[in-house]
Amino acid sequence: MYLAPDAEEEEIASAAAQFLAEAMPISRLHATTGAAVIADMDKALRQALGGMGWFALAVPEEDGGSGLSAVEHALFFREVGRQCGPLDVLAQCLAANLFAEAAQRRAVIAGEHGVALLVPDGSGFRLIGSPAAELALHVTSEAAGIYPLDGLRSENRPALDPANSLRVAEALPAPLASLSGTRIWQLGQLGVAAMLVGIAEAALDLIVEYAKVRETFGRKIGAWQAVRHPCADMAVRAEAARAQLWYAAAALKEGRADAAAHLDAAKHLANLAAHGNADTAIQLHGGIGVTDEHDCHLLLKHAMLLARVFGSRRDLLGRLLHARLDD
Amino acid sequence: MDLHFSEADVEFRARAREWLKANVPAETRPARGPESARFDRAWQRKLYDHGWAGVAWPKEYGGMGLSGLQQVIWYEEMARAHAPHHINTTYIGLMHAGPTVIARGTEEQKAFHLPRILSGEAIWCQGFSEPNAGSDLAALRTRGVVDGDHIVVTGAKMWTTDAQHADYQELLIRTDPGSERHKGLTWLICDMKLPGIEVRPIRTMLQDEHVNMVFYDEVRIPVADVVGEIGGGWSTAMATLSFERGLGFIGDQLELYERVGRAIDLAGRTRLEDGRLAIEDDGIAQRLASIKADTMAIRAMTLADIAETDRTGIPGPKGSMMKLLVTATHKALSEVVSDILGWDFLEFDGDRSAHPWTYEYLWSWVFSISGGTSEIQREITADRVLGLPKGR
Repeated sequence: MYLAPDAEEEEIASAAAQFLAEAMPISRLHATTGAAVIADMDKALRQALGGMGWFALAVPEEDGGSGLSAVEHALFFREVGRQCGPLDVLAQCLAANLFAEAAQRRAVIAGEHGVALLVPDGSGFRLIGSPAAELALHVTSEAAGIYPLDGLRSENRPALDPANSLRVAEALPAPLASLSGTRIWQLGQLGVAAMLVGIAEAALDLIVEYAKVRETFGRKIGAWQAVRHPCADMAVRAEAARAQLWYAAAALKEGRADAAAHLDAAKHLANLAAHGNADTAIQLHGGIGVTDEHDCHLLLKHAMLLARVFGSRRDLLGRLLHARLDD
Repeated sequence: MDLHFSEADVEFRARAREWLKANVPAETRPARGPESARFDRAWQRKLYDHGWAGVAWPKEYGGMGLSGLQQVIWYEEMARAHAPHHINTTYIGLMHAGPTVIARGTEEQKAFHLPRILSGEAIWCQGFSEPNAGSDLAALRTRGVVDGDHIVVTGAKMWTTDAQHADYQELLIRTDPGSERHKGLTWLICDMKLPGIEVRPIRTMLQDEHVNMVFYDEVRIPVADVVGEIGGGWSTAMATLSFERGLGFIGDQLELYERVGRAIDLAGRTRLEDGRLAIEDDGIAQRLASIKADTMAIRAMTLADIAETDRTGIPGPKGSMMKLLVTATHKALSEVVSDILGWDFLEFDGDRSAHPWTYEYLWSWVFSISGGTSEIQREITADRVLGLPKGR
């Protein structure tokens, strides 16, 4: 029983952190001109990530992946979350785990083909991700399918979260590939929960750093209890969400019967931690917190997007209520 | 990262479950009075006689010497078996005084007190807080004057739980009259039968008289009953509190996990005023599920913390965050049960066994105030976990 990254796992996490901070820093999301930025994952970034093998951490070695586990998958996406990484990164990664056909799988793993995420919304669909993507992934808790976007009619929508384009589509073509079972859904839940934990941690880091330097009334604001106490509450939220994330990752890795329930709990707690911490970070920063140049609002907006995929609050809590748990 | 329990752990869980199933008393604990202490002593004696006493104590002092993980298993099985609540009159002896005597006591003190605590023969209470020294413990003023081989104690202690039942008290006093704050304090074993001690009950919002004021009028305590050094009481007291902030609440942490399941069952058989089952109400169902997720995280945090402590031997600074989360979750659970039970929640006579949910609701403030208030826990977290600039 050990519920924290061990030395080898830490190594992968810090390699991911280093790579992502250069290839996909959160600063890419700030508007440099008057126009709104949508910093989708372009082909160059996709191929850079693919070249390092990040899309195939959990894909078996014989299928061209790294043969690692759900745990490394979670560690990677926590770092993706800290940089407000686009949802395409997750969709790409899940597609790499879905494709049975070798050439298609290789193209996704290498970042040759891009994958957006598709979610039903009313009678139509929402597409989240780069307009340059050739494929779209649709996942439910029972099955997952990949659809060609070539020729699909979609309409662009303005996006609150600058990390992803938003489009709507009315009808879907026939799937290129599909896979029944829970694996893709569970890896997706784990990835999103990990991204949300990364956001919760990033928001806490931002305010703690600021509270150590910013002064009001002749003191550092971090010396005032009005700031210290909400920061402590942020730390508690992040800690709880992180502990449950590790539990869920290990449960998935080990194929435990209660993994689904632990993933639902991890996603729910990560939703609360990311949203709560981003909210509090903006407030405690004061005026600077509502400016575009600050990262706080990016964390909030991305958390709001991630809250809506791989289990809404209602879904998660509905399943969790009567879920049975093992020792 | 892994969730494996070793074969020894699995075997231990099976053995604990089986024993508890056969031995948890059928009768409920009396709510108050000497009968309640008698019940606690008898249960502790039973644990002792069957080799289940002192889960966290080293084997050489008669304890079970369990790893942190096995303590988790023990408390999980206690909660599952509806065993008598571990926070009862034996708690201070087992979780505070005993570990402190083990860490800082003399061989004579260990030989005399430890077996008495383990077997339930001796009940202990705590004498740290005072009317003007609660959160700010170092402001305490009860004084002790060394007179030959005795220390003569005069003053008052506050919030002393179970003083009326206790045989001994862990008593923190100021022995250096000119001293301030953390210096000049002494940690004493006080025999509660000594002349000059008066126990005055404080009636609480729980309709009970478990907490007391204790007055000392020139009480003569032998110097041989000092634990640690005269003047070194702060260091001994911090050792005492580190046990509490380490695994002292582990039982409550894990019990919550069990109790949320009971609340969900309750909602599945209790009708609201409009005739629907409480569980059919979306608001209630969602709150229960969200609290269930919190208790899962609390369990994960407990396991993470304990695995770390078992590896390094040093408890991390996360105990304060744990207490904040556990006390908040405890209150949230009580609040949703208040909505499930409706008018029935307002029926209460102070009996924990007869009205457990209302009792726990009222106790939620005791939980978030005693052992360091939530405000103090936030201060500790801001200082030690986040490294924020000191406000004090």
